[in-house]
This record gives sequence, structure tokens and C-alpha cells, in this order.
Amino acid sequence: MFERSKKDDDSIESQDANRTASDTAFGSLRSKVAGRGGDAAVIGRSIQINGDLRGGEDLRIEGDVSGTVELKNSALTIGKEGRVKADVYARSIAVDGETKGDLYAAERISVHVNARVQGNIIAPKVSIEEGAHFKGSIEMDPAAVEKALGKTVVENKSGSAADAKAAPKKPAKDARTNLNPPVGTA
Amino acid sequence: MTASLRRASPRVPPDSPAALHAPLFQDLVAGLDATRRHVILDLGAASTAMLALLGRSRCRVEIADLAHFGGIDHLNRAEPGLAITEAAESVLPNRLTDDTIDLVLCWDLPNYLTLDAVSGLMGAIGRRARPGALAHALIFYADRDMKEHPGRFVPTADGELIDRSPPGAAIAAPRYSPEDMGKSMGGFMIDRARLLSNGMQEFLFRLGS
Repeated sequence: MFERSKKDDDSIESQDANRTASDTAFGSLRSKVAGRGGDAAVIGRSIQINGDLRGGEDLRIEGDVSGTVELKNSALTIGKEGRVKADVYARSIAVDGETKGDLYAAERISVHVNARVQGNIIAPKVSIEEGAHFKGSIEMDPAAVEKALGKTVVENKSGSAADAKAAPKKPAKDARTNLNPPVGTA
Repeated sequence: MTASLRRASPRVPPDSPAALHAPLFQDLVAGLDATRRHVILDLGAASTAMLALLGRSRCRVEIADLAHFGGIDHLNRAEPGLAITEAAESVLPNRLTDDTIDLVLCWDLPNYLTLDAVSGLMGAIGRRARPGALAHALIFYADRDMKEHPGRFVPTADGELIDRSPPGAAIAAPRYSPEDMGKSMGGFMIDRARLLSNGMQEFLFRLGS
């Protein structure tokens, strides 16, 4: 099901031998059909997945995925050939291909040149390269990002927020952020 | 009310890589209060420089990129009335929250839309915006021609604008008058206007209550 990089073939067996059953939702499947590309598992170009995709390791998608992708503590890369129609939750997300759906990352989202992204982006750090195509919203208000990601916010003595390094959670659909007074003109 | 867009002519307008001084845009940027939250709708393409500029304040930026995602053709093809209203909703970004919009950046996109399309689009935006929300637009006024495709305006650190779009064929500009624009921006009324050094008219509109 997943592409295997020859470079890493020799190390797969020993790594899998040390993996517990609860390590990843598709870990047992991977021992039969998955492989690793660099440090990440890879969903190859010919693969189509419909449904919920969950895991606890870094993943690169070059195929078609629709449904939901949850890699809350891991990095997701959507390669140039990758097409994802899903809401995505990950520690970090890098997009070179196409996505349609909301992207949530606890750390960073990078949209690279020639990527095509339709959906909302919620992450503390966001970069969109010149030449990328994006339609959606980018939350740049740290408080709203924290709220959307469902993080625990600890108010320190001076009132500034310190996040508790929690993984992104699915936000409540009716979550709202405060509306402030109008933009002014000089 | 509908103005048909005239077809391409072979003449290529001179490129203007120089920074464009747009005082109303600069005022808007300078007026972004870093302590307040703003919701900004950008009808153009995402740019790193624009995000960096807006990132100085607490804001959510909604990006429609009408030119790349087919919004211009979709709006211009829609029949006046309900069809344009539906088209306008479809070309705007899906929203995660229903925070009302404070500022709309139209760039030069209204020049590429019929007045009916402009009216339908701004009406839809007005329904997402708060009373008093502002809209900024650049309208070809002195020049007869404009690039075949909308500009890709990128702000400098001090708020001047550079059009990074590639050179291309020219088409006749509709040269919408202030009166045209005043009647075609949904509930947005002309607040201020300036004629710029490149012959464009810079408009700031304000949404009535």
C-alpha cells in the first residue's frame, strides 16, 4: 500500500520489531504493505485512500487521500503528486501538492511554490511561498490560534499566554473568536 | 448597468516595476492597531510580503484569489440577480467562524468584472462585514488599457505597492467612473478617492449601516 524506499528497506524489519501494537493506527498494516521514505512513511502516487487516516509517525502523501488525516504528534508532507481532500491535523504540515479542507498544525504550516490549497489554515507559524495558490483564511491572531487548536493556555503572572505543547484538537464547529473594534484610517 | 469588458488588443502596456505610492492603502496599513483583532478579506492572491505586513497586527486574513480560482469568469458569466448572488458566495472563502470583516482589499480586480458582478460580489461581502467596514480598490482611470490579467500587488515594508504580475497582452480598461463605482459596490459608499501617479484612481469605500 505504501511505497518503500530501497535505502531504508534493510532497517524496516528491525524498527518494526520494536514497535508496539499501539504505536500507530496503521503500524501493523505497514509491516505488510508500507514502507519508509527518508524518515517518513510514504503513501505512493498510485494509492487512493477514502476514510480516516491516523498515525503516530511522520508521513508523506503522494497519492489521493480523502476523509480525515490525524497525525497529531507528527509531521505531514503533501508531495507534489499528493491530493488531499480532508481536514488535516498534525504537528506540522508542508504542502507541495493540492489540498481541499482545513489544515491544523500545532507548530507550523508551509505552503510551497506551485501548491494549491483551498481551506482554512490554523497554526502558530504559517508561510506561503510566492507562486503558491491559496484560497481560504489564515489565522494570525495568537489567541485565536490557541483557541482553535484547543490548546491549554496558562496565564502567567504578567498576563501573557504560554502554551502547554498540546497536540491540535478538532475545534468545536461553533467556536468563535472575539470581534474587536474597527480598523481605523490614519 | 452592465459594462461589457472589451477584448484584448495587441498593444502591451509599459511595465511599471517601480513602487506605487498609494496613500489610502498606506493609511489603512498604518491604521491597523496591533492591540486589536481585525478580519481582512483579500480578493487577490496570497503573498508573503502582504502576510508579513498584516502579521504586525492580530488578524485573520481571508484570501479569495479570484484570478487564479476562476472567480472572475464565474462572476462575469452569472446572470444578474440570484445567480450572481450565488456565484459571489461561491467565490468567497469558506469560513471557519462568522467573525465580521473589517477590511476588504480589492486591488485592481473590479476592473476585470462587470458592474453587475462587482455589485453582486460586494453585496455578498457586505453581508459578511460589519457596518463601517472599509474596502480599498484601484481603478484604471486615465489609461485606456490595462493588463489582460489582474495585477499581483505586493506591498513594500512601508506600504507602497509593486505589481509583480508578469507582462502580457493588454485589453481596454473599462475606466469605471467614480459614479459607476459609487453605485456598484453593494452597500459600500465612497469615503475617499485619490488619483495616483500611474493614472489609477485609488478608492476607499465604507459600508453603510
